[in-house]
Amino acid sequence: MNKKSKGMSVRRKQEAAGWLFLTPATILIMVMSFWPILQAVFTSFQTGAGVNMKWSEPLYNNYIRMFKDKLFLRSVGNTFLYLLIQVPIMLILAILLAQILNNKDLKLRGFFRTCIFLPCATALVSYALIFKSLFATEGLINHVLVGIGILKQNYNFLGNPTSAKIVIIIALLWRWTGYNMVFYLAGLQNIEYSIYEAAKIDGANGWKSFWHITVPLLRPTIIMTVIMSINGTLQLFDESVNLTAGGPANSTITMSHYIYNNSFNTGAPNFGYAAAMSFFVFVLVAILALINMKVGDTRD
Amino acid sequence: MRKALLTMAAACAMTTVFAMSAMAEENKLSVYAWDPNFNIPALEGAAEDYKANVNPDFELEIITQSGSSDVEQAVTLAANAGDYSELPDIVLFQDHYIQNFVMTYPDAWIPVEGADIDWSDFGEEKLSYGLIDGQHYGVPVDNGTAIFAYRVDLLEQAGYTIDDMTGCTWEKFIEVGEAVKEATGKYLLCMDGSGNDLMYMMMQAEGQSQWKDGEPYITENETLKRVMEVIVEMLQKDILILGNDWTDYTNSIIQGDMVAGVMNGNWIIPTISSVPENSGKWELTSLPTLDGGEGYAANGGSALYITANCDNVDLAKDFLAKTFGGSKQTYDYALKNGGVITCCLSAGESEVYQEGVEYWNDQAIYSRIVEMGGHIPVVEQSDYHYQLRQLLGAALINTLSGADLDSEMAAAEEQMRFTMGL
Repeated sequence: MNKKSKGMSVRRKQEAAGWLFLTPATILIMVMSFWPILQAVFTSFQTGAGVNMKWSEPLYNNYIRMFKDKLFLRSVGNTFLYLLIQVPIMLILAILLAQILNNKDLKLRGFFRTCIFLPCATALVSYALIFKSLFATEGLINHVLVGIGILKQNYNFLGNPTSAKIVIIIALLWRWTGYNMVFYLAGLQNIEYSIYEAAKIDGANGWKSFWHITVPLLRPTIIMTVIMSINGTLQLFDESVNLTAGGPANSTITMSHYIYNNSFNTGAPNFGYAAAMSFFVFVLVAILALINMKVGDTRD
Repeated sequence: MRKALLTMAAACAMTTVFAMSAMAEENKLSVYAWDPNFNIPALEGAAEDYKANVNPDFELEIITQSGSSDVEQAVTLAANAGDYSELPDIVLFQDHYIQNFVMTYPDAWIPVEGADIDWSDFGEEKLSYGLIDGQHYGVPVDNGTAIFAYRVDLLEQAGYTIDDMTGCTWEKFIEVGEAVKEATGKYLLCMDGSGNDLMYMMMQAEGQSQWKDGEPYITENETLKRVMEVIVEMLQKDILILGNDWTDYTNSIIQGDMVAGVMNGNWIIPTISSVPENSGKWELTSLPTLDGGEGYAANGGSALYITANCDNVDLAKDFLAKTFGGSKQTYDYALKNGGVITCCLSAGESEVYQEGVEYWNDQAIYSRIVEMGGHIPVVEQSDYHYQLRQLLGAALINTLSGADLDSEMAAAEEQMRFTMGL
């Protein structure tokens, strides 16, 4: 290489070096990500498995099929329920916590920050299993609630469709609030303290300066966390699988879990259909992110 | 770059060396299994047996998986990738999967044809799973014969004995269940609600199936309708409890002493007998039926299958034939150390099987189970067994939450037909 590039100008050399550094990563991402995605596209037009794998009739059959699949539609419904209830609560909590923990006069600030962020260091499977045992019929929550007299007898939280959904939402809140709070804390560092001082002089109370200063200035961070949360919720899997196993009666099953069930644990896998549903999730994420970016766009 | 190439070359060379040393191991087989208290001791015993009586150089590498589903997933993954090289020589998994696995991935399996096994020594129902196009694919390990275990002390408190339960109708069972609940506060029946096998076992005890000519047979199926009604009634009268998941079922409900009766495949016995305080209080019998008479069913037995990755097919066949194919020594060891009950009828005549078991009130439970295993009716099976189980389980829970049973069953049938593409 050295000998060949002798004729190149400095600029060409730099460009060549740039491309050289990019090449390994590009090749890897092509082979490891894009090629499998392309294969998944082909798979999504097929049906059956193994030697019985054949092209669907018509080719886009899997893509129509999912809209007639009541169980899939139910899993879409469940996922959107989590999205609409959990994400707003979580983000509001996160921003409030960030605001409180950004207070310079607060003692033990670092300690509280660590405590709230700590759940994010827990593996998804482990925390789902811990919540499962907490909310079990013979679990801690039941013992406490019966002990202090709120419940008369142990309640089967995970055996009832509504309470099982609530448990999942509580678990998600516990796991992800701290994660989003960290982004807000970082965003808050960039807001000049003098702005708050000026607001104070103008007579704004804490609530007003929160809504009129903090929220608008955090806008880019808020948009990012909303996109990330939507993306994460649409791909929700661990909680559904480990905490409730999708039950009772499929009332908590998520899209990803249903996709997984169509590929494994059934005795009759349908990879084509599963791939088609995955692309549906992909399109959903893209659309929601696009809407979000448009809404968050401040330019006229 | 050069360093990376060198590393890669070294890695390739090492793989080749390993592959060659693997080829040199002519007397070694590897197997996937999952339960250290159940099927793993059985395999260890079989390896010992083969080593002592056939081939002193023999070595069996048992690779522990965390569950039967892990083995099934490993097979699905390898088959879809078209690369069987990661699979062991032999795999153990549940009976319901093999039909579909052979249909879908025919080149993943090697039939055990030509092995020295007397197939007539096995129950017909058990063999029906692994018998595909006249070829035997699996060598049965454990027997899935369903048992109904009762706490005789609790039955007595309600004024009944186990003889009252043997061959009784489900109607009578509900009557006893209510009496037991009143006298002792315990449930007479329990099941894992997330993997509800009750309908399936109750149907098989009637000699009926939820399948007919390869299609789901649900709404028109009078027997299934009656079975579902019985289950709903039991749940409403609070004599049947459903666990949220498997652990809830085994740990809280069975071992937590909430029940006076357990109905499942006999592999549930180690779970029941791990509570020392209840020793001598249990006995077991056959299943109730809708119109009376003893019911027999099977649930969740497993078998060993040879994979396409096996380099030493003759050794694998010989090993299977001379151990699980009918060796008394293997089966005696498996029973003593893992509670694995054979499906091999002659092995069931061994003395160990005739002994009374202290935990089970000195009842000779093993010979009773082998005897029951011979009566299980062969019913139509389907690759979609687990999906239908899921759908019917959901229908049941929805019915309890107030939905109409008929429309729930219709919905289950519709969804099942949809999934099957009918």
